[in-house]
Amino acid sequence: MAAELALGSALAAIGAGVAVGFAALGSGIGQGIASSAGVGAVAEDSGMFAQGLVFTAIPETQAIYGFLIAILLLVFSGIMGGSPLGVTSGLVAIGAGAAVGFGGLGSGMGQGIASSASVGAVVEDPDMFAQGLVFTAIPETQAIYGFLIAILLLVFGGILGA
Amino acid sequence: MEESIMDLINSFGFSSPEAFIALLVMVLAVVGAIVVVITIRPLLEYYPYTYPNARIRAKIGKILSDKQISELAETESLEEVKNYLRGHRDYAKYIDKYPIEQALDANLAESYDTLAKIAPKTLKPTLDIMLDQWDIKNIKSVLIAKEAKLNEEETRELLVPYGVLKDDQDKMIEADSVQELIVALEGTPYAKVLEDALPDYNENKTLLTLESALDNYYYERLLVKSSSQEDENTRMLHSYVGTKIDIATLKIILRAKADGLAYDQIKPYVINRGYKLRDWKVKELMESEDINSLLSSIESSDYGAIIADHIPEYNNTKSIAVFDEALDAYERKMANNIFKKKPFGVGPIVGFINKKETEIKNLKIIARSKRGPVVPSSEIKEMLL
Repeated sequence: MAAELALGSALAAIGAGVAVGFAALGSGIGQGIASSAGVGAVAEDSGMFAQGLVFTAIPETQAIYGFLIAILLLVFSGIMGGSPLGVTSGLVAIGAGAAVGFGGLGSGMGQGIASSASVGAVVEDPDMFAQGLVFTAIPETQAIYGFLIAILLLVFGGILGA
Repeated sequence: MEESIMDLINSFGFSSPEAFIALLVMVLAVVGAIVVVITIRPLLEYYPYTYPNARIRAKIGKILSDKQISELAETESLEEVKNYLRGHRDYAKYIDKYPIEQALDANLAESYDTLAKIAPKTLKPTLDIMLDQWDIKNIKSVLIAKEAKLNEEETRELLVPYGVLKDDQDKMIEADSVQELIVALEGTPYAKVLEDALPDYNENKTLLTLESALDNYYYERLLVKSSSQEDENTRMLHSYVGTKIDIATLKIILRAKADGLAYDQIKPYVINRGYKLRDWKVKELMESEDINSLLSSIESSDYGAIIADHIPEYNNTKSIAVFDEALDAYERKMANNIFKKKPFGVGPIVGFINKKETEIKNLKIIARSKRGPVVPSSEIKEMLL
């Protein structure tokens, strides 16, 4: 089956793998850090369950960005039907995957650390919730940059709407 | 464009595009692995602290604020203080079960116990040793109770329901003499510690000899166990614990020098081993004539600067409490610095230990002030840390 794929489509498949793989890695690590802090907070104060859950959920977004880009690559590269991609577009697809993947890796881990610190701050002083949320949201920007660039590459690299 | 890329691939000597893809995958895998290793490495140090630090910060949040302590100082009676503490879940379970000071110690011991259970394994040896202080405190209480000829019930009221020897407390209470207490402690390291100190005790008949032997044993083990240089977190905990020991030593020597005691009179009661204060330095301090000559011996250290800053105040008041307060403030500042410097590591643990100890000391000051004749709240507040 793989041998029947066009070279461009195969390159896009690598891009999809990189996109979801690295973004999910960062997101997973970040969420692991945030959730262990959340469990610690809930162990001391059961009223922290909702806040802990919010902070634990935040580093999920990077994986969602990677997943979205990967789905787009799979749909528009001819792997899931449709016309196959050329080599140039395939290389663009790798770039798009790397952008959202590596962006999500750093962002996810950073956000996990910020989330766990925020959980600690909120469990110590509940009034810190809003400030904690703002600080936790800041490392999201790197993932958004990666996601935007990936979308732009897909649009102007001849993959979306090709 | 596509043709030019294919030409480029061919010009690199690849026989087919598939070979190029294979190489590209390998390069991406290597780059990915390097990126992952580089980014994950700093997290490995941080990861074991996420769960305990969240719990500890929750505990820090429950520590009574300065305003609450001040309100407690303004209460009319000890019963009011107890009522206030009954409103705090962590204290409520002990307040009606034990006398006030024992209840406070039980709360502190429980906090240490939790810390030792949840701390990352690199810090566990130190925190486990810190739990021994409750055994030592209980042994000392039994010794004092025996000397004061307290009955079993009165003795029991002095003991903290924590420590490795918690289940042996009945045996300890039943002992009628130091010798019998040693027998009751058979199988524990404290039996040998007391046995070694027994000749001195028999000679001078002062319990301080036995108490110092127990303290020396505890502090020496604490210093040795905390001296692991595994990472920056263990080093920081060691520096904090070591500073606490140094401060305890300095307080004893300063008090002795203020009372004009000579080397031979102090030596049995001073902690032999220090952190920044090495054995020879401790000896030199004990040998100093008075506080001024003691100062010249440690002038270059942090402790020297603290003592020097408060010499004028001491000369005015002739109260050694001036130095005690300054050294306690130094310890609090150090704990605060570690808290800020390592917020994702040992910082909250050190910060909590210090804040909790300060809270308990303040509550004890308030409880003692409320027990006897009325002490004005302004005077109580002056005594607070």
